[in-house]
Amino acid sequence: MNVQFKKGVLELCVLVLTAKRDRYGYELVASISEKFHIAEGTVYPLLRRLTQEGFFTTYLKESQEGPPRKYYQLTEQGRVYMNDLVLEWRIFDRGVNQIIGEGLGYDKA
Amino acid sequence: MTRREFMDELGSLLIELPDKERLDILADYTEHFLMGIQDGKSEHEIAETLGSPKVLARELLAGYRIHQAQSNASVGNMTRAIIATVSLGFFNLIFVLGPFMALIGVLIACYGVSVSLLVAPLGMLAQYGVPNLSHERLFLLFGSLASVGLGGMLVIGLIRLTKWLYRQFLRYLQFNVQMIRGK
Repeated sequence: MNVQFKKGVLELCVLVLTAKRDRYGYELVASISEKFHIAEGTVYPLLRRLTQEGFFTTYLKESQEGPPRKYYQLTEQGRVYMNDLVLEWRIFDRGVNQIIGEGLGYDKA
Repeated sequence: MTRREFMDELGSLLIELPDKERLDILADYTEHFLMGIQDGKSEHEIAETLGSPKVLARELLAGYRIHQAQSNASVGNMTRAIIATVSLGFFNLIFVLGPFMALIGVLIACYGVSVSLLVAPLGMLAQYGVPNLSHERLFLLFGSLASVGLGGMLVIGLIRLTKWLYRQFLRYLQFNVQMIRGK
């Protein structure tokens, strides 16, 4: 998959992944790289930026096994932003699929 | 690359950041390493999938600089943000530095015009002395007033424009970082 394109999608992914519950960095990285290949380290600068922009708040929580984890919690502002991105993505996705369908000629299904 | 090597390299690349910021970043990656090891991965494997510390450091520095320029507007901060963004790649040399230089050029020219409008009446004073009420002197007097007024308004407008451009350019920088991110 194209690198630039993937980077844009990465932002959408981390926001959506935190929509239902708070997540820690490693968990976010793992859920994304399970689906497609990324340079895993770049998720952290992204998380920092989204936090600085007020879309996340963070807190540390001890865990039973291993080190304390930094959790990312979506703010109200972050949720609004996420919804915008999801909507944009849906429009984009539908458009591309139609073009692919028409272009490859299996749109009459 | 071992965890130690990765952290040392990243740490030394981020040395110009304030301690608090740098340690916070390093803590994120340490956490990642520890979790990965717990997952049964080797240090080499984890470092490999994280990507090059150089690329990560450039991105983190650019992110930090832009944030600084946003929360604390100054020429110095803007310059540092631009340098950090430019260091993300040659691509940016053209797409960031070019427009910036052009903007600065135009702004300097505009300031030049308004300053000469403000100063022009002084030249007239020097040449013709203090205006009295004779015909052409009156013309000079009003000319001077108009010139100073126009120059003043231009300066006020320009200061606003400069502030606005500062904000727009920051957004443009952010856009660039997003474009380049993770190459």
